[in-house]
Amino acid sequence: MSGPPMISVRNLAKRYGGVIALQDMSLHVERATIHAVVGENGAGKSTLMKVLAGVVRPDSGAIELDGHAVTIDSPNAARQHGIGMVYQELSLFPERSVLANLFVNREPVRSGLISKREMEARSSDLLRQLGLHVDVHAPVSRLSIGERQLVELARVLLEHPRLLILDEPNSALNQRETERLFTVLEGLRAKGITMLYVSHRLEEVFAISDRVTITRNGRDVLTKDRSELTIPQVIEGMIGQQREALFPPPLPSTVGATRPQMTVKGLAGGRLADVSFTARSGEIVGLAGLEGSGVADLLDMLFGMRRARGGEVQFPDGSSLPKSATEAARRNVCLVPADRRRNGLMLDKSILFNISNVVVGARDWGTPWYSPKTALDRSNRQIDALRIKGLPHALANSLSGGNQQKVVIGKWLEIGPQVFLLDDPTRGVDIGAKREIYALIREMSANGGIVLFSSTELPELIGLCDRILVLYQGRLAGEVTGAEMNSHTVLHLTNTGEMPGANRSKPVRQGDMA
Amino acid sequence: MSKTDLIPPLAGSATRAARRGFRIPEEIGVIIALVGMMAIIGFARPRFLNPINLFSLLGNTTFLGMLAIGMVFLLAIREIDLSVGWMFNFSAVFAALLMVAGIDPWLSAFAGVLFGAGLGLINGLIAVTLRLPAIIVTLGTYSMFQGLSLVVNKGRAIVPADQSSSFFSMISDKLFGIVPVAALVFIALALAMHVVLHRTRFGYRVQAVGSNPEAAAHAGIPTAWVRLQTLVLMGAICGLSGVMYVGFRGAIDPNEGSDFVLVVIAAVIIGGTPLSGGHGTIIGAVIGMMIIQVISSGLIFFGIDATWSTFVTGAVTVMAVSLDRLIKFQRTRRIELGKENFHA
Repeated sequence: MSGPPMISVRNLAKRYGGVIALQDMSLHVERATIHAVVGENGAGKSTLMKVLAGVVRPDSGAIELDGHAVTIDSPNAARQHGIGMVYQELSLFPERSVLANLFVNREPVRSGLISKREMEARSSDLLRQLGLHVDVHAPVSRLSIGERQLVELARVLLEHPRLLILDEPNSALNQRETERLFTVLEGLRAKGITMLYVSHRLEEVFAISDRVTITRNGRDVLTKDRSELTIPQVIEGMIGQQREALFPPPLPSTVGATRPQMTVKGLAGGRLADVSFTARSGEIVGLAGLEGSGVADLLDMLFGMRRARGGEVQFPDGSSLPKSATEAARRNVCLVPADRRRNGLMLDKSILFNISNVVVGARDWGTPWYSPKTALDRSNRQIDALRIKGLPHALANSLSGGNQQKVVIGKWLEIGPQVFLLDDPTRGVDIGAKREIYALIREMSANGGIVLFSSTELPELIGLCDRILVLYQGRLAGEVTGAEMNSHTVLHLTNTGEMPGANRSKPVRQGDMA
Repeated sequence: MSKTDLIPPLAGSATRAARRGFRIPEEIGVIIALVGMMAIIGFARPRFLNPINLFSLLGNTTFLGMLAIGMVFLLAIREIDLSVGWMFNFSAVFAALLMVAGIDPWLSAFAGVLFGAGLGLINGLIAVTLRLPAIIVTLGTYSMFQGLSLVVNKGRAIVPADQSSSFFSMISDKLFGIVPVAALVFIALALAMHVVLHRTRFGYRVQAVGSNPEAAAHAGIPTAWVRLQTLVLMGAICGLSGVMYVGFRGAIDPNEGSDFVLVVIAAVIIGGTPLSGGHGTIIGAVIGMMIIQVISSGLIFFGIDATWSTFVTGAVTVMAVSLDRLIKFQRTRRIELGKENFHA
């Protein structure tokens, strides 16, 4: 190819405390191409993009633009180099109008006042191209998530970047919006704009990109033209050889002849409609689904945090849905929430305090006294059992992600739960702690717990679960077991809501486990 | 519980030194400030350190100090009650009116405490059912309680005519001629509430909810119930303070309590309870209130016009908060440095 690449990254490294986000990451992107970067969660793709956008500073490594070494030490520097980034998490101001959001900090000024007319004139063409037909004076909070994502994209495009970074830009878009987005991206490519496209969804990566880089554990493992790759190859590259070691084998079950079970029939509420399944003790049931598919709603409902509109649920203790989280906790149902910093931990409190959360906080039987001595024993027990690296009096905030998650799990283990609802328990956890958490999940089920395990990472669902329930837009799209349980089937099911054509769809009958 | 015992700890994986010897109490800062201030005033005006003066100072701290104790629970649960002054006043008026009506003063006082708890219950029920922050609810009930109290006292001081009951003599009595009984009740309440906050399920829940309400809810802690309990406790303490005031002074003025709330919050903050919730110190609040009292009485000893005391109290509050920020800032920086070293 002629000339140096548009952007070239060499040997980038970045650690967050004990977690390695990037190590020896290299990437070369040719001008006017769409270059996809794929990898599992935690493979380092988002960190790489943040480095390029000047949000994160690398520990070491070099970046070259058009063959010249540059340092991108702030988002402003990135902007000056012509790099624009569309963030995965929306970074809009919800209470302000669409126009105000499009021109944050760059409001066109006419005679000392911000000119709305000028803003409209400059943005109307672009918004039409993007197919965004909304009232530009309405606050962003009135827009759907998909529309907001397009506003975000428009905001970046108004800066006329040379390199456009898209981090999961269509995670909230529906099919039609995604297609329109792709048309826009192809138009941009024709105009000579280079794009870096980060996504989980391989089908879409193959639909839009010219070249693909696969990342794993903070490294780039493979870069090839899309035409030379197949989806299975990419999945192979993403997962690597780690699967064997990562997932501990099932433990001998200690469950007796009568296996308690949880039956869910026609559950509706939130995004859910008519979800039925059975989960028995001693098995790990996986829950897969895209953001907004209803997995989180289902777990919240089973934990009493959200009201159900209809349906029947029978828990192993014979009762139906808990009316509150307090009732759930008292009935030995536990939820390990996805956002542990927000929902799982008291960050300014010690491990000791957090471990007593359920025993002291949720229950109303036993002694009304809180004894720091007993609490210390409790925390020591969990610190030993779960190998939490921290002293009992260490603040939760000072722990690494993996240890924080172990504290959340530990506080529930103190009450010996019967039903475990695990919402993406390994999110943002380093690989060593992941392995330990997998082992814990195996224990929970081997000891007779009913385990519902939701995850955004396919390999861990496949590696750990006995069967996987896939939710798609609020309904139970299918159940995958045995030989069908592979990345291809599950990916297809989560993304389309239908079983892949080759495999015959296995209908989920009500109570087929009963 | 047997679940957790199944994972054998790896040999040498958990080397944890048995720690936790003597810890310097966190209130040490305010204690030093109080003693220092008293020493300075005492050095210049030795009469200030006369025990009689000091104990009367303590007696004056009682009524506001009790409210500060309740307010610690509110700040610890990340709430603020603005209506405390009028709950105090209304309960006192209520109890005094019962006494005027000829009901036994002890019984009236008991009813006054219950009445205060009832006012707290109103705050609590509104806050919990409408899911509103207590600060907003009590902004409204502040005026409601004030207004109703004015309606029943008709703008005049209520003075129970017959003060021969043991209630009045006991509360205004001084042990050994110098230690006010009211102050002893105050100290006893402070110690009891210290234990409640740090050694009971309720106190644990208050700190948990204040530290992170969402995580508390996700851990199954009945957050609404705890908030309700806290607001009722605040009301009951206001009631207790109010009826003791009636016993101590023998009357309740229609405006008594109007300026309480800001002083009370200031004392709690000076004492070291953060506004961000999750944590509180009763001892600190008591000492904070003493600091405020020492300032205003110190000013009098120095012959400075008493009107300055409000200004000085405010200045001390700002100083206490800045100092607290500074210490926290230093501490987080130390922790972060420590973290980097740990990982390196």
